[in-house]
Amino acid sequence: MTELRNPNRAMFWRILRRLLGANRGRLWVMLLALGAGAAVTAALLNLQVDAKRRLTTEFRAFGPNVLITPREGDPTAISESTFDESVLKDVSPFRNEAGMVLANVYLYLIADVTSTASRENQRVVIGGTQGVGADDLREAARIELQSPNNQLCNVGGKVATQMHLQVGDRLTMSNGRVQESCKVGLIQLNGGAEDSEILPHLDVAQRLAGLPGRISLVQISVPGTPQQIDRYIADLQKRIPEAEVRPIRQFTEGEAKIYNRIGGLLTATVGIVLLLTALCVMVAMTNVAIERKMDVGLMKAIGGATQRVVRLFLAEAALLGLGGGLVGAALGILLSIGLGKAVFGVAARPRLIVYPVAVGLTILVAVVSAFPLRRLAGIRPASVFRGEA
Amino acid sequence: MFLRLVADSFGRRPRHKLLTGAALALGMGVATAALSVALDVGDRLAMEFRSLGANLVATSRADSLPLEIGGVDYRPVNAGAYLPESDLPKLKTIFWHNNIIGFAPILEIRGEALLFSDKDGEFQPAGWIENVPLIGTWAEHGFSLPEGGEFHTGVVKTNPWWRIDGQWFSDGAKECVVGAAFAQKHGIKVGDSISLARGEVTKTPAPLKVTGVLNSGGPEDESIVVPLRYAQSLADRPGQYRKLYISALTKPEDDFARRDPKTMKPDEFERWSCSPYVSSIAYSVQQVLPGTDVRVIRRVAEGEGQILTHVQTLLWLVTLAAMLAAALAVGASSAASVIERRVEISLMKALGAGSGTVGFLLAAEQLLLAVVGGGVGYALGIVLARLLGERIFGAAPEPTLLVFFVVIGLAAIVTLLGSALPLRRASRMDPAPILRGE
Repeated sequence: MTELRNPNRAMFWRILRRLLGANRGRLWVMLLALGAGAAVTAALLNLQVDAKRRLTTEFRAFGPNVLITPREGDPTAISESTFDESVLKDVSPFRNEAGMVLANVYLYLIADVTSTASRENQRVVIGGTQGVGADDLREAARIELQSPNNQLCNVGGKVATQMHLQVGDRLTMSNGRVQESCKVGLIQLNGGAEDSEILPHLDVAQRLAGLPGRISLVQISVPGTPQQIDRYIADLQKRIPEAEVRPIRQFTEGEAKIYNRIGGLLTATVGIVLLLTALCVMVAMTNVAIERKMDVGLMKAIGGATQRVVRLFLAEAALLGLGGGLVGAALGILLSIGLGKAVFGVAARPRLIVYPVAVGLTILVAVVSAFPLRRLAGIRPASVFRGEA
Repeated sequence: MFLRLVADSFGRRPRHKLLTGAALALGMGVATAALSVALDVGDRLAMEFRSLGANLVATSRADSLPLEIGGVDYRPVNAGAYLPESDLPKLKTIFWHNNIIGFAPILEIRGEALLFSDKDGEFQPAGWIENVPLIGTWAEHGFSLPEGGEFHTGVVKTNPWWRIDGQWFSDGAKECVVGAAFAQKHGIKVGDSISLARGEVTKTPAPLKVTGVLNSGGPEDESIVVPLRYAQSLADRPGQYRKLYISALTKPEDDFARRDPKTMKPDEFERWSCSPYVSSIAYSVQQVLPGTDVRVIRRVAEGEGQILTHVQTLLWLVTLAAMLAAALAVGASSAASVIERRVEISLMKALGAGSGTVGFLLAAEQLLLAVVGGGVGYALGIVLARLLGERIFGAAPEPTLLVFFVVIGLAAIVTLLGSALPLRRASRMDPAPILRGE
């Protein structure tokens, strides 16, 4: 039996080789269809996995989405609505499962501000601030700007217009008998409450208010999916019972809604494109497969069992799928890296799992599209040779 | 004879033609669906982003600096400048009036509140609360538009994340809404009554009915929200407001949009003001509301612009990939259909047809297939795009003629290109060996 099987197997592979080599044009057509399908599959799968993750990072363009505020106290008495900055040691490590968590600490008070250059005097909200946990370069630069050593402060655009301030002007802030000064480092107009505030370093504001070590607000920028953000808030609240941790609903809810929409959009598009790519490849393959009538006829004429003939063609299809898939999927992953770079400015990280999945899918499509060949089993060799069918 | 040959080819091998046509239709279906969704997605997503609320804020240019900490303004009421409410309907007359989906004027004051508790159907005074932040605004204010119809706007549109237990007050009624934290602290429920007053009080003012409890997640939770008209009468500022929030549909800003309009040449300025950039909408709002300073809320507008641009690029790339895959599959199947007709081609050549005639015949066949397949594919794709659009955004994209022409054109080009290569090879071949079957 084994002796019979071995030459059989050798023959099987030889026929397979011949089938593949018989018509170069057809081989290329099939490989091209399968390879293109595999490339698109791999590129889209990789991009899909990456884009959803990237989207949550994109949302950080909206800035902080979580606040820590004092729990009790009269909101109208500024000095009472503060809490100790030691709560911040609980915010660290500044990380959750989705990436870096950035925080800005604020202490607010109202002070009389005089500009030495324009000699104007106004009561302005002072928001002493300091960044925590920033490792982003731009963030670091902003904090450097406000460092207590070089005594620079950010000034809101509305303040600058009303007091005729320019970058480099010196400001004197006084609260009762305490006086502090700083130099205008940056003038910003961004449509928020900061437009009518002066933002020096936290230490300056704490000295000015006479409240060392106290803060009135922490703004946190938490990355991640809506669920990850909720978990982070719950976890933080448990660790800081003395203050209130709450999401900025405007952003957390808006983000959640948009995340779900875009996620759904991507999944749906990718799903449908993949399905129809498979269908297209299948149709192209089926078209090629049908013209195999001659070969089937010949094989049956010289005594090939239907099962063996079908097995032969399925093996051919699988081999083609493997070849097209291996090359196409690799190309697709390379493509998605480039695409990721074009869209998000950062190359998409190739997911290794995508490669075998794409190759597997391609083989599956190739084998399934060879399925119409089963019908060929019913072919009568004689009528094929007579040219009737 | 030419037409007969084409008709014969279709009639003789309906199955082959059907398969090639099906590949074409499917491929073009994907292309249509992806293209329709990609064309539509910018508008739909821009609408979604409005769930982040207002992206423009207008204040009086003459206003003094607000001394605002944690949403509480520490300025005395008589300080600062106010804006006239009567100008507001003009917002719907600007060039971009269709892009303005909502606005809400705000007047904040501080006052005293007298709570009434409900005892056996009779309201009993339950105590004064001093220094309560009061926010006067529109919940859902309607006014008629110059071109007919009515426009409803208010905080419901500009602050969609505000949740209300119960319902909003109706405009001008003696009703109010209480912030969740305030309500909890003082045990106020929907249906209670509150009297509000400011300054010297000689007699108890007519009470307002609490119609809802507001949960905003912000400083508004500590305050009482009243109809704008009522806040104006309390502040003795009839027909005036202090701050205006505007929510507008915008196009993501590019480098051109960020330029200062004052430095633009006339034609550049026209192009700028004819694009719905957030800055150009701010500019035209400022034109109709004299004395205001309209600022872009950068945090909302820039984040939105950035994400919108990225998502749109991503979708275009996916569309492109889909079209590429469809094109390759269609090209491959039309190439296959030419390859298998080598015998036929050889026969025609043996009978004296030139390469040009044969090529023309085959091209005509393929084009016919492309138009029919592309047409069916377009119909298929429109249905698919509808399904997608309704599933994701709750609204189907409008079918456009542009997509139709692009799809038909693509189908024609791809089938021709796909068959051109094997055709060239076939035309160079010697008919004799092929006819002999070698």
